[in-house]
Amino acid sequence: MKSRIPHFSLLTVAAAAMTFAASPAWAQLKLGFNVPLTGFAAADGKSSLEGAKLAVEQANAKGGVAGQKIELVVYDDQATPKEAVPSATKMVEKDQVIAAVSGSYSGSTRAAAVIFQRAQVPYVVAYAIHPDITLAGDYMFRVSAMGEVQGRGGAKLAQNLGKKKVVLVTLKNDFGQALAAGFKEAAPKLGINIINEYEYGMPDRQFGPLVSKIKSDNPDVIYASGYFFTAGPLVSQLRAAGVTAPIIGQEGYDSDKFIEIAGPASEGTYITTSLDRDSDAPATKAFLADYRKATNSGADMVAAASFTATAVAIEGLKKTGGKGGAALRDAIAAGSYDMPIGKLEFNDLHEVKKDIQVQIVKDKTFRRHSVISDPVLLAPPTKAK
Amino acid sequence: MLAIELIAQGLIQGSIYALVALGLTLVYGLLRILHVAHAALFTLGGYVGVMVCNASGNLAVGFFCAALVSGVGGVVMFRLAYQPLLSQPPYVALIASIGLFIASEEAFRIIFGAQGMSFTNPSLEQQFVLGGGLQFKLAELLVMLSTATIIGVLAWLQSRTRVGIACQATVSDPQMAQSFGISLRQVRDINFFVGSALAGFAGVWVALLNNLVEPTMGSVPSYKALAIIVLGGLGSVPGTLAAALLLGVIEAFGTIYLGDILDRNAIAFAFLIAVLMVRPQGLFARS
Repeated sequence: MKSRIPHFSLLTVAAAAMTFAASPAWAQLKLGFNVPLTGFAAADGKSSLEGAKLAVEQANAKGGVAGQKIELVVYDDQATPKEAVPSATKMVEKDQVIAAVSGSYSGSTRAAAVIFQRAQVPYVVAYAIHPDITLAGDYMFRVSAMGEVQGRGGAKLAQNLGKKKVVLVTLKNDFGQALAAGFKEAAPKLGINIINEYEYGMPDRQFGPLVSKIKSDNPDVIYASGYFFTAGPLVSQLRAAGVTAPIIGQEGYDSDKFIEIAGPASEGTYITTSLDRDSDAPATKAFLADYRKATNSGADMVAAASFTATAVAIEGLKKTGGKGGAALRDAIAAGSYDMPIGKLEFNDLHEVKKDIQVQIVKDKTFRRHSVISDPVLLAPPTKAK
Repeated sequence: MLAIELIAQGLIQGSIYALVALGLTLVYGLLRILHVAHAALFTLGGYVGVMVCNASGNLAVGFFCAALVSGVGGVVMFRLAYQPLLSQPPYVALIASIGLFIASEEAFRIIFGAQGMSFTNPSLEQQFVLGGGLQFKLAELLVMLSTATIIGVLAWLQSRTRVGIACQATVSDPQMAQSFGISLRQVRDINFFVGSALAGFAGVWVALLNNLVEPTMGSVPSYKALAIIVLGGLGSVPGTLAAALLLGVIEAFGTIYLGDILDRNAIAFAFLIAVLMVRPQGLFARS
């Protein structure tokens, strides 16, 4: 007799738990989302998640898709392939997501891409820029300019600034190397002379020796890839050592944290990115205002790109009436989108065709400098290459 | 001129390494534990320094609190994690230490956020222009100066005061020292406090140089400091100092001239392997 009571109560608890766990699953469309919430990229992950959540909330507030609410199924991938593979597998097998969005870096996104492709789940990538991602197959989409394209944009900006002698400071990961490759490809065509290139690793924050060497190189402009947590110390140390050449960064710098870390040294730094804070476009202005209202902080490129990727997937779902698979793939591919990061269309490789926004740090905030609009130079690779 | 600048940058970095590695050496000398979690106290110092300085507007108070909190943190770590394991083989403490380090990195992230933290009004930013295009931030010069001063004072304390001599005696023969009435517990506490306070102090310097503290800022120092104490001949204080400064300078040149083939953070280990092949007891140990 003794054992009956606990048995009974356990059963009740289990039944209750199952009811609660199961009930939302029927009525909702699941959208997978992998994002680094812990580890070195956690800061970007936080922005990314806020952006994606905002897109889902807005869609649900307007009635969801075909009468169903959208549920964002979030997995922390720590920006590593090791975590991304099980997360993607769980999304496909256990959660049976209808589509997925990457709010993560290239390393993890590349690993997850293969799994989503095999399962024929459309995967919209926000800001991971490695070329292999869209090569994984036709279910892959990317809403931001890939590394090579942005690198070419950087070279174009150097030319627009009237600079000839450039030093490259390259972050030794796929992000930095893809940017450098694009820059080096475009530089000779634009009359830019790369006098030296240095590489650094992700954990580096102290650039003393590198800074000394760059000073002796005496370049007209410095093209330095990195994220705000490497670029902040780098830019401040360059200025502290008396290097006055302009610095061109990219979307990895695109965070108010960059300005906070580098302080006054950040003034005048250029970045090529996807988010124009001074844009007149209604989609961008609305996003910037909504994001501030939702999070009480300013949006950055990562938030805007993740919002965009999520919204693109949702728009696709609206067209198919909530159906996934090949129908959703074709719907996303055929669409054209008016998003916070600009007007987007996909080419046959599902790479995005868009302008590059150049921002400059002025009075402690990112302001518009220019827009690079050069469909030939900025053409993403196609299926034919 | 580039060479002079590289040497100077190497010494700045080396000073930071020295402050961190010194605590490790003290602990190793006393307990034969490879105290990986020491780098967590370096991170803790960075955070405390930034927060106190931002709240009080006074950098000196920030430094003081950072050293104090890290020092006490070190003693707590010893009492809670290492003391119960002292009778176990050394690798048990090493594993505990690695676990402690990973846990504290995550704790920093949960408590202080993943974004990291910066000074709202960074101090010591003044530029010093020396002759021939040499230019340094005040903080860079003060790192070297304060490291030299602190280490000098510690050396004096260790050789001239009763407490210092008690520490030395305990390192060379704990049982004999105890029979002379030295309290082992006190000596261990003092060692952990001083070593950890130095790490916390170094954390504030790094926070100043980068204007950034992050949950993961201890990960590179954690293993590099191990390489340094091995290079210096385990447990030798002067050896550790020399190895730290030497490694700083070698890294500075290596970053520029070996950058294409060797990662900056791999240089320490390439150097370590090269040294151990020739001198297995470390560079400065008495054989």
